[in-house]
Amino acid sequence: MSNVPDQKRMKQDCENKRECLEILQLILDGEASTEQKNHFLKEHLEECMPCYKNYHLEVAIRELLKTKCTNHAPQDLVDDIRKKIIQNLAR
Amino acid sequence: MEEVIRQQYSEQEKQNIFNQEFMPHINSMYNFAYRLTLDADDAKDLLQDTYLKAYRFIDSFQQGTNAKAWLFRILKNSFINDYRKRSKEPSKVDYQEVETFYNSEDVDRQITPDLRVEALQDMIGDEISNALNSLDVDFRTVIILCDLEGFKYEEMAKILDIPIGTVRSRLHRARNLLKEKLSEYAKSMGYKTT
Repeated sequence: MSNVPDQKRMKQDCENKRECLEILQLILDGEASTEQKNHFLKEHLEECMPCYKNYHLEVAIRELLKTKCTNHAPQDLVDDIRKKIIQNLAR
Repeated sequence: MEEVIRQQYSEQEKQNIFNQEFMPHINSMYNFAYRLTLDADDAKDLLQDTYLKAYRFIDSFQQGTNAKAWLFRILKNSFINDYRKRSKEPSKVDYQEVETFYNSEDVDRQITPDLRVEALQDMIGDEISNALNSLDVDFRTVIILCDLEGFKYEEMAKILDIPIGTVRSRLHRARNLLKEKLSEYAKSMGYKTT
């Protein structure tokens, strides 16, 4: 995915947008078959502009989710839970 | 659910399992609790309840199986049983209805993303977090499990007690809804969406 395809030669419309979106989500979720991956990533993505854009959008959303939507447990809560369990064990 | 085989762990084994298999997931678990309850105090209580329950039922945990999925399932069930009822959120629409609605082709066509990567890159504040939090809890949950925690569909199906097909369709719907929210933000930030 590092080489940017020649945008002028790409299709500007995708006749299977819905199916393609589903397949690309399967790929990013690690749930796609080898055939799906080969076809979509090696062939389709290089020739289809809407899917190329969609792919990068999906990747960007996932990255944003990971960087912006993770809260760590407060340390005092973690300590408290440990303490309670140790008390339980001592019983 | 598959049959639960009860183990009989020694006190030392229990302690090892708790420290080595349960505690490493505490940040992910807290985040899940926080995103479900949308309240820091409720998240604390829910997390604490879940860990105490996990300890109490440790004999039904089988070593070598996925501890994270096991813990997430307990947390999700505790949330439904103890928190959802008294949640501050307004009463939920019937989500079966919501899912049927979002299954229709019309809606899919309507919300083909008009969102651009450049707009996302400028969302450096709480936009994405707010967008995620604004989704109905069932849609929010699948995004957290899949995109934040990296669970496989099969694991999600077990955590949520729903068929894999439902995991897939709910995830698809959830992502469309999230994109819809994000493109609203993009519009308000002055990005043109065509």
